[in-house]
Amino acid sequence: MENLYLPIKTEVLDVIEESPTIKTFSLKPEAPIQFKAGQFVEMSIPGKGEAPFTPSSSPYEKDKLEITIMKAGRITSMIHNLKKGDIVGLRGPYGKEYPLSEFEGKEILLVGGGVGLAPLRALFLALAHDIEKYKSVLFCCGSRTPSDIIYKDCVLDKWQLLDKKRIKFRITVDRKDDSWKGNVGLVTTTIDKLDVDLKNSVTIVCGPPIMMKFTTFKLLEVGYKPEQIYLSMEKNMSCGIGKCGHCRLGNFYACKDGPVFRYDKISHIHEIWD
Amino acid sequence: MDLYFINKPNLDRLVKSLSKTYKIFAPVKSDNKRFYRKIGEDGLGDSVIGEIRAIEPIKSFYFPARTKIAEYFSKDDSSEKERPIAIIGAKSCDLASFKVMDYVYARDPFKESNYISKRQESLIVSSDCTCFGETCFCVAIRIMPYPTEDFDINLSEVEGGYVVESGSAKGEAIIKEYFKLFQSAEPYIEKRDSYRKKLKEDLLEHVKKSKIPPKDSIQPAFKGKFDSPLWEEVAKTCVECGACNMICPACHCFILMDQKKEKGFERLRMWDSCLLMSFARVAGGANPRKLLAQRLRNRFDKKFNFFPDTIGRFGCTGCGRCTEACPGKIDIREVLSKLATTLQINNVDL
Repeated sequence: MENLYLPIKTEVLDVIEESPTIKTFSLKPEAPIQFKAGQFVEMSIPGKGEAPFTPSSSPYEKDKLEITIMKAGRITSMIHNLKKGDIVGLRGPYGKEYPLSEFEGKEILLVGGGVGLAPLRALFLALAHDIEKYKSVLFCCGSRTPSDIIYKDCVLDKWQLLDKKRIKFRITVDRKDDSWKGNVGLVTTTIDKLDVDLKNSVTIVCGPPIMMKFTTFKLLEVGYKPEQIYLSMEKNMSCGIGKCGHCRLGNFYACKDGPVFRYDKISHIHEIWD
Repeated sequence: MDLYFINKPNLDRLVKSLSKTYKIFAPVKSDNKRFYRKIGEDGLGDSVIGEIRAIEPIKSFYFPARTKIAEYFSKDDSSEKERPIAIIGAKSCDLASFKVMDYVYARDPFKESNYISKRQESLIVSSDCTCFGETCFCVAIRIMPYPTEDFDINLSEVEGGYVVESGSAKGEAIIKEYFKLFQSAEPYIEKRDSYRKKLKEDLLEHVKKSKIPPKDSIQPAFKGKFDSPLWEEVAKTCVECGACNMICPACHCFILMDQKKEKGFERLRMWDSCLLMSFARVAGGANPRKLLAQRLRNRFDKKFNFFPDTIGRFGCTGCGRCTEACPGKIDIREVLSKLATTLQINNVDL
């Protein structure tokens, strides 16, 4: 039996600055980690500790993966100091992925806020890889200010050109600056005036807890049913494999039964938005 | 399974022989408390086979408080094979905790090889309780004060020796191997059964005082009390020391910690406590259980709501260690009793 806690030696291939607080790390593990969109990995700074992250790159990329990380705590601060060529540890993938087969033939609404765009980027790339399987994708992205928008060249440019018929974007910022010509308002405002057939739609939300809460309520208000809403729950995870107890959410462990949950499965649980 | 009798000198001989194969631990008494001590070729000495559970829960042997679980980015593989352990004098409430530990560590798809091999290789020689402690309440949640499962060999003290029950193929094999040390249990069985009956009745009488609700009404009572003011009341004397977590045979939460060693790095696993502020906090500071009352509620929710739903048993064995250990005098029996009796009024929004 393999040791469940053993990290794979991984080289940092590149560090991309996305915003003043967010960086994307391109990583090459010694043994490939085949994740599915929505699953997460535990990334470690050797001798210092681990933290869970959902890769943001395409699950179809075989040899390397990208992880987008906001500087928020002890480990993420150390990760932000990493440079090209540094060695880190990775183990995983863990948890439940987005159920892509259930999205087939549907109009898909992605709603992301801040660094919550990271898992949605992996999902978006997986959807775009087989775009003919899906009716449409509307990607709503919210950021605090224009300089906080991550994956700028993608969301504002490259991805817009992928499939103009099927893939659309709504980008908004909470506060604009002089350079910004686009929408201003919370990400919930992008859900107004949706042009989708609600009966044949699913929506996937990822962002800070407060954003997920109000986005979910807004989605319910516009007519989505709880079973059409998928959320990525952020909880404190130490082991990643349902043993250490930290990420319990009612009768679930976010690491093992999530982090992707259909809202109707967890809506009854107290404390989910905190 | 089969019953035998072993007298005290012969049990000592058996233990001496087993010490060649196993690293043996048995409780000794100090200051009216029992602690596990390693015993060697000298035999049982002043070990206490009967009486009640030791201070330490047996999770300490299978899932130690601080243990290295991985070495990484180094070539030296210096993991020497240790002798398997044998625990003598484990009590029924200890054995009940295997159900929780097995669920956590021996279940697909993430089975822990260390835990599983320890479980397979270790020998459990349990024993009946011969008295009860003030905080004991196992019978209230239908765990008997004598082992009924999850042992290799069980010892029930009677005059001059023990009625021996084999509970596994491993236990049976040991009895067969040292068969000349054993006698027929026939003359002693009645005595054993009457001792068991008497202790169970006395203990039932004792737990009546604390008004613990009937076992089957505990989880339903809990489900209705999520927003009960009870948790704030209990939190008044809690000092967040985490003693109840550490001492609990069924608390299994841990935290991983990495450190550098001479060559490469190592990953340690340490017991963690859900009563500590940092337990559920995420990077950036969000914390679903900022209030102590929420964390206390979480502890009870896990034991009396989560575990019944997931493994069909409480994550509590009725051992009473938490009550004994709590500097804030929080009594688990009292909490359960209040849970069932307080009306759900003045709901507080936690």
